[in-house]
Amino acid sequence: MKILVADDSRVMRQIVIRTLRQAGYDDHDIVEAEDGADALAKVSSEQPDLVLSDWNMPNMTGFECLEALRSSGQQVPFGFVTSEGSPEMREKAANAGALFLIAKPFNEDTFKEHLDGVIA
Amino acid sequence: MTTFDTGERRRSSDARPVIAELMDDATVQAIAEEAWTALVGEDELLLPMPGELPADVLSAWVDVVGPWTGSVVLTTGAQTAAELTRTLLAETAPPLLDHEDVADAFGEIANVVGGNVKASLPGPSALSLPEVGNAPAVRNPADLLRVDVLWRGQPLSISVQGALPPLPVQ
Repeated sequence: MKILVADDSRVMRQIVIRTLRQAGYDDHDIVEAEDGADALAKVSSEQPDLVLSDWNMPNMTGFECLEALRSSGQQVPFGFVTSEGSPEMREKAANAGALFLIAKPFNEDTFKEHLDGVIA
Repeated sequence: MTTFDTGERRRSSDARPVIAELMDDATVQAIAEEAWTALVGEDELLLPMPGELPADVLSAWVDVVGPWTGSVVLTTGAQTAAELTRTLLAETAPPLLDHEDVADAFGEIANVVGGNVKASLPGPSALSLPEVGNAPAVRNPADLLRVDVLWRGQPLSISVQGALPPLPVQ
């Protein structure tokens, strides 16, 4: 399984990848994207099985990326990992087709809770 | 036509809340502690004790724009910011950190703390991308919460500060 991790912070991408390993998802290919536009391009070129994306990023936000994917018919499973977890954002994410929204800070248990069932 | 003074105009002009009406020090401290435990390490404690910041400080902050508008600012010594960066990067830390590494790591901590502060405030509001450098000035001392902590014995301050000047006194 291939997982695309999109975050404009390199440190946060490392933390997400480390947490994936700690949560037991350590035998998957990881691809990194540094903003929404990069993520959009890499969904096309890398064909990931899951996208884990930050929301607030320069160039193109994670939300705009999700909207662009869905409007082009691309149905890749997509979840947010973001520092903002208000009920309004969760609703907005769900309405746009996101499977879940993990609020930062998170730990391996949070990842397991949301990813079990998504990652086989 | 009879008109009534509903107090609407008076209330709306008085409506801009200051941060102390919306949250307290304990909430800011709890948000920072949770961010530290999750991002920096399970055993990493923030002791609620004031310490004297060194001359060479670095700040990281995010802006919140909404019913309350201001910045969530983390300030610590430049060396402490570098130590934080090494801790966050762990085995991927380069032998020599550059400013971009520190800006990324320290900025991301401010982003997580700021995002959670924003979630505790009345919305809707928007959160900026993090910035790192010299902290924005305190515009209204009455619209300020500041929590001073020690991390690994080094001082760090977290300030939630309004960006707008005080309202004129009627």
